[in-house]
Amino acid sequence: MRSSEKGTGRASLLAATAVAAIAVALGLVACGSSGGGIEGGGSDEAETVKLEKKASGSLTISNWPLYIDEKTVPDFEKATGISVNYIEDVNENDGFFAKMQPLLAKGESGGRSIFVVTDWMAAKMRELGYLQNLDKSALPNVEKNLLESLRHPTFDQEREFSVPWQTGMGGLIVRTDLAPEIKSICDLFDSKYKGKVDFLSEVIETVPLVMACEGINPDEASEDQWMKTINRIKEATEEGQIRRFTGNDYARDLTSGDVVAVIGWSGDAVQLQADNPNIKFRMPTEGCSLWSDNMVIPVGAPNPTAAEAWMNYVYDPKNQAQIAEYVNYITPVEGVKEVFEKEGQDELVKNPLIFPTEEFTKKCFTQPKISAEELQNVTRAFNSVVNG
Amino acid sequence: MTAVRRRLSPYLLLGPGTIWLVFFFVVPLVYMVKLSLESGLVGNLEFNWHWKNYSDALSLYDTQFVRSLIYAGLATLFALVIAYPLAYTIAFKAGRWRNVLLFAVIAPFFTTYLIRTIAWETILSDQSPVTDVLKAMGLAPSGHVLATGGAVIAGLTYNFLPFMILPIYASLERIDERLIEAAKDLYSSATQSFLRVTLPLSAPGVVAGTLLTFIPAAGDYINAQFLGSADNQMIGNVIQALYLKQSDYPAAAALSFVLMAAIMVMVLLYIRFAGSEALMGEEAR
Repeated sequence: MRSSEKGTGRASLLAATAVAAIAVALGLVACGSSGGGIEGGGSDEAETVKLEKKASGSLTISNWPLYIDEKTVPDFEKATGISVNYIEDVNENDGFFAKMQPLLAKGESGGRSIFVVTDWMAAKMRELGYLQNLDKSALPNVEKNLLESLRHPTFDQEREFSVPWQTGMGGLIVRTDLAPEIKSICDLFDSKYKGKVDFLSEVIETVPLVMACEGINPDEASEDQWMKTINRIKEATEEGQIRRFTGNDYARDLTSGDVVAVIGWSGDAVQLQADNPNIKFRMPTEGCSLWSDNMVIPVGAPNPTAAEAWMNYVYDPKNQAQIAEYVNYITPVEGVKEVFEKEGQDELVKNPLIFPTEEFTKKCFTQPKISAEELQNVTRAFNSVVNG
Repeated sequence: MTAVRRRLSPYLLLGPGTIWLVFFFVVPLVYMVKLSLESGLVGNLEFNWHWKNYSDALSLYDTQFVRSLIYAGLATLFALVIAYPLAYTIAFKAGRWRNVLLFAVIAPFFTTYLIRTIAWETILSDQSPVTDVLKAMGLAPSGHVLATGGAVIAGLTYNFLPFMILPIYASLERIDERLIEAAKDLYSSATQSFLRVTLPLSAPGVVAGTLLTFIPAAGDYINAQFLGSADNQMIGNVIQALYLKQSDYPAAAALSFVLMAAIMVMVLLYIRFAGSEALMGEEAR
């Protein structure tokens, strides 16, 4: 008798606990989902930020790691009296998007006033209605100093909602001692280099470059042409031509010599070259892909006035020079070269990866505009290659 | 008063654990179930009992699924083959070196998992002496070791080895040595006493070790990402890409559930086969 009593006691205890748990869980899920719907998303007309007369208060910025020198933030704080919370929590566009999306869908930005994201991600966020338009009256430096070539990108023709932070090129990084003949993206498919090349795992970088090799203009490519190009990459993967798909961890493969060439980013090449002079960025004969990481103001951003004050501040060539000297990408600000020349920084001025001439980049193309649905489809197809 | 308190005490004792489980396991789980039955693009997801996510998960990613189970199974097997003699030596033969050896087993944990795996990338790179030796032994038919399935399995084996060694060691160490002496007194050979006394008594450790190795290995994606090529990606890589690259949350959630269910079924069958008393030790007998 005693033992059976004990038995039912334990069973009912467990049952009660389980029922309570499920009830609580369902309740929480119901609460959570009401805010996760479509409100705040999907609108074509974005709102323009509302500015106050004078910038003050505090400002939170989300940027990529190692993308700013140590002095700019304190200098800005001193100059404006705005206190800056600068966080380096953007490690990849998709991951950052995954983290922010549930908040953005509710019209919140997690306290952030500025995100820095790559062109295609800015386009995607805009399409979902997660970004605000900028008030250009507070951005005279941007109006004046933004490089001509960056003023009308396909994803934001009039720069209504994005201001470039830094710019770079996607192209070839080659071990010139091991594969001096590689000059084009098409060369990467040469069976001579079987198993000795890495491609980027980002669909938006790799596929347009391979399109260029195929003679397709990435800006006008149909979904069909995207798929055809992905299929070519798939065949090369199955034949063992492509060793792996990487992020910028291709650096290790290049350094060890496990691969002789990769599709990679110019800024990495500047740094790799400093360690090993045999590693060089090569402008593919087909041209390169030009991308920018852009400052954008998300919906629900607190203190947009301070956010625009920051954008304006970093577009002063003197302030920008400080950042450019540290990061080694292409600066989007006119006049930085002159600042460097005055300082006698000849090496920086002469580096075509930091100050590319028009001649150097004449065949390059910006990241193609592609609808969210098409992007989803091609990304799925591409990832099924990457994750064979 | 005391009666009430006695009746309430089990609830109170279970409280912290239950709250923890509800908030960090049950709630996310229910949320994931709901997510896995939604369809549409991110930002416009709609809950509509979209069971197709599940059939898609199985039909689109069956290759990676089977591959994951094979890789995890082989890694578990290799880990067992390496771990048992090692644990045996530490438990019975190490003498005063026992603590040093145990420390050596645990020492890799002082470095993060990620760094250890990236270190393997260097160890197995094409120019490394290790690769030269493996090539000379004819173990690298494709001419390289890194970016092959072998490298992924080796990485898995290495990374989960301590989870195999420690439970086996713990169960061996608990064995009353007088039992082995008794077997010898009864004229059993060393082999017989091992097979009939030591091995059965260490079975709980073996079962626990294989589960602790197989379950996380089947869902792992770090090793495949760094040590494998496109042909060696596991189901974890697919889920990661679905979630973080494609923003296809419903598909990722459905696939996670399929993986969870598959592993659960396999584990239940295994425990059934191995006997739950083996898992729980003598207490359950």
